[in-house]
Amino acid sequence: MKKKSWLTGIVIVLLFSVLSTFVLTVQAQDKLKVAFIYVSPVGDFGWSYAHDQGRKYLEKTLNYVETAYTESVAPPDVERVIRDYAQKGYKVIFTTSFEFMDPTLEVAKDFPDTIFEHCSGYKTAKNVGTYFGRIHEAAYLSGLVAGKMTRKNRLGFVAAHPIPEVIRNINSFTKGVREVNPQATVKVVWTGSWYDPPKEKEAALSLIEAGADVIAQHQDSPAALEAAKEKQVYSVGYNNDMSQFNPEGFLTAPVWNWGPFYVEVVKSVKEGTWKSEAYWKGFEAGIIDIAPYGKVVPQEVRDFVDKRKQEIKEGKFKVWPDKSDEELLKMNYFIEGVEGQIPK
Amino acid sequence: MSDILTTTFLISVLAAAVRAGTPLFFAALGEILAERSGVLNLGLEGLMILGALSGFMVGSATGSPWLGLLAAMISAGLLSLLHAFLCIHLRGNQVVSGIMLVLLGMGLSSFVGENLVGKTTQGFQPLPIPILSQLPILGPVLFQHSALVYLAILLAFLSWLFLFKTRWGLEVIAVGESPEAADTVGVPVQAIRYACVLIGGMLAGIGGAFLSLAYTRMWVDQMTAGRGWIAVALVIFSAWLPQRALLGAYFFGGIEGLQLRLQAAGIGISYHILQMMPYLATIFVLIFSARREFRQKIGAPAALMKPYVRGERA
Amino acid sequence: MFFKILNSFITILLALLVGMVPLILTGNNPVRAYLALFQGAFGSLYGLTETLVKAIPLILTGLAVSFPLRAGFWNIGAEGQLYLGAIAATWVALTFGHLASFILLPLVILSGFLAGALWGLIPAFLKIRLQVNEILLTLMMNYIAVNGSNYLVYGPLKDPQGANFPITATFSEAAWLPRLPGTRLHAGIILAFTMTGVLYLILSKTRLGYEIKVVGANPRVALYGGISLMTVTLIVMAIGGGLAGLAGVGEVAGLQHRLRKDISPGYGYTAIPIALLGKGHPIGVTIAALLFGALFVGGSHMQQTTKVPVALISIIQALVVLFVVAGEALRSSSFGVRSPLQKITGP
Repeated sequence: MKKKSWLTGIVIVLLFSVLSTFVLTVQAQDKLKVAFIYVSPVGDFGWSYAHDQGRKYLEKTLNYVETAYTESVAPPDVERVIRDYAQKGYKVIFTTSFEFMDPTLEVAKDFPDTIFEHCSGYKTAKNVGTYFGRIHEAAYLSGLVAGKMTRKNRLGFVAAHPIPEVIRNINSFTKGVREVNPQATVKVVWTGSWYDPPKEKEAALSLIEAGADVIAQHQDSPAALEAAKEKQVYSVGYNNDMSQFNPEGFLTAPVWNWGPFYVEVVKSVKEGTWKSEAYWKGFEAGIIDIAPYGKVVPQEVRDFVDKRKQEIKEGKFKVWPDKSDEELLKMNYFIEGVEGQIPK
Repeated sequence: MSDILTTTFLISVLAAAVRAGTPLFFAALGEILAERSGVLNLGLEGLMILGALSGFMVGSATGSPWLGLLAAMISAGLLSLLHAFLCIHLRGNQVVSGIMLVLLGMGLSSFVGENLVGKTTQGFQPLPIPILSQLPILGPVLFQHSALVYLAILLAFLSWLFLFKTRWGLEVIAVGESPEAADTVGVPVQAIRYACVLIGGMLAGIGGAFLSLAYTRMWVDQMTAGRGWIAVALVIFSAWLPQRALLGAYFFGGIEGLQLRLQAAGIGISYHILQMMPYLATIFVLIFSARREFRQKIGAPAALMKPYVRGERA
Repeated sequence: MFFKILNSFITILLALLVGMVPLILTGNNPVRAYLALFQGAFGSLYGLTETLVKAIPLILTGLAVSFPLRAGFWNIGAEGQLYLGAIAATWVALTFGHLASFILLPLVILSGFLAGALWGLIPAFLKIRLQVNEILLTLMMNYIAVNGSNYLVYGPLKDPQGANFPITATFSEAAWLPRLPGTRLHAGIILAFTMTGVLYLILSKTRLGYEIKVVGANPRVALYGGISLMTVTLIVMAIGGGLAGLAGVGEVAGLQHRLRKDISPGYGYTAIPIALLGKGHPIGVTIAALLFGALFVGGSHMQQTTKVPVALISIIQALVVLFVVAGEALRSSSFGVRSPLQKITGP
């Protein structure tokens, strides 16, 4: 009697799980579900905004894709949100902030059939790929523009966290500046936060007061441009074309263009050719670019920078010829010309 | 290192302090008024954020920052009336009601403000005062800001005048110190408390509107970032005195500007350690003012958090 | 008892009803949104475990507020005590990471409790000894704790291998609270439920519980009865602070496995309405914390499926609190909170 009820139980459980797998597969065949997890609001006009543009592009380009996203995910909730999507049968999950790295790997262990793509980290697994763009090459180009435009030879850089991603951008920017203007220096102020508009603005003001006449940034809001506009100095934006926030003084901005990459990944998942890799490409893949020049940038500067961009695209010019990718990815020092400290 | 010993450095830190301290002052002044009448309002954070949102909404829709300011005062005023009703009329718990205001303000503003994220507005532009703005040091520190900064300075003076030199002000103080005694001489205790909480809420709304209309000139979700709570600390720090609250606000506000500028000058001091200083100072004042010999002078109003019912003795 | 439950139920219903207003005004379907909310929190085993996960810090901090309140002490400092607990647990976990789990884990938990308790004892002592207003003092101490924690993760405790990001190193697995496989539900829930029971027993069955209630009801009577105000206050705050410290332990050892910036999104403040909603009774507090946890988790699901902003959750929570405060006041019942406040907490 007891044995029998045990058996019945097992059969029921088996049946149920087969059935639910069936239902799930049917659902999955319907549409490929893709989720995006953002660290800040999609309206930040910065990092998350750029990713969300990519999501919209993906949805428009591939008609078999259905997307969902969660914005402003705080540290205590990251793992829950990722797990939640995995649980609900999302096939591809993009986690788009450095801090999401460990929770992504953690969840990926429990969902071997789900594909995870983590942006800007360095750890991969069988079903976890990592991706980023060589945005520092765009930062270098914006540095060329800034170096040509500065009059006081003092530039400012509002930066979020002292991690390699940001340091690489500061160094590349400075390299561009110094190439066309060897006397110029770039002063760095850390805000300790990706997204804190009042503080970003105050940081920009502090740099302007210290004599900077170009303000570049690695921050997710356009608040620094707001400060530059007020003080009538030049701006180099970040993430997106931020020209509207300082129309008179806007020079250019390293910008992201995630759409094509998202399409590529989802397509390869659909076709079964996806493999875990550390993706790190630049202009040639169209994942990065610089924003259209502001109206103050003279034609000769535009021509010069455009030419350099083409050379980078064709592989004829390397921003860091003597450094391997490995070294670039671990960059944790400032080059000459940068004024500031990396907190230890 | 030598960078920081210059007057330019000093001026820029002080100007930043005034800029960052002004929203704190508005909120703290509102709280001083409410607490002076005996009502604790921990909901400043919620009132400020609601003011920031409605100020930005109306300011950018109409193109007039002053109308935005008015909207901020009305919305924050309405929310504070809810607190007044709960605490004065129903004699509900003031601490919990205050927390409720924070939740409500945060929730409402982020719910309604979703579509405004990333937009900018003209807002209040800097308005240098002729002649005064040309003064050495004092000019750039105090007189090259937006109109609201001057309004704050004016209000600090006026509210001191009001509280200590007018009959109404003395009645407010009487209600906060001893409502029974005030009542016996015919002071309308409840009406005064209502008025103080309402006006206090409006002031907090101005503080919030300052952030979105004069500081960043954009709406950002949760942009008050704890400033409402700092204002609560500021009230204690300034011993419930409006004029001291202004200086205290500049001191509290100056911390962030100082840290960023020390960085720009090449000196790295932990932001978080600096950030602790206002609170440490406040705790010190709190402990100090608890001593009997100082309580009368710099302590909290005696009837703070005590609802008043006629005929009841505390 | 039945009426108390019915009362709370009506309060929540009322809050949900009023919460429909912003939904309708923004053109959302409130029924769909609430269905998604409910489904997210209770509709699946996973949702249920997540509700419990979110409830762990809320139960512990809720108790940290409500327990001292029974003795007339307003602890607004649960947030700071939580951070202290998280810091101490992190330090122990990172320093003694080589120890075996059966030694390390108890050490981690104990250190978190002790740190929270010590942080809670400071305002308790200052209130009784110097008549310092504990509401304002505990509030201020939160900022010292949070900034202190940030200082540590940006500085001395920063992971040397963490690419300079403000996080500490990951704890060795020996310091992880065990989890229910496949979910995030960790052993913190056992701690939380046990503590609920312990506090219930203390309050209803022990001499100490009796003394706490006397002090809360009327400190003058307590004095005549030979009860030491100092002792009782120190005990309730040691326990209260310790419980909040345990909430911090749960977050770092159960969920994050490291300390980072913003480890708590304000659990210690949410705890205050929870204490009120639970009427100061440990079991009531636990139920209220579960409800708030369910709102958080369901809210996130609601946003995913119906695109209604999560902010609605704060509005609903605020409304719940609003109706509870109003209801309490209207009945001017004898919930042992307002009366002691009026009588002894001179600012």
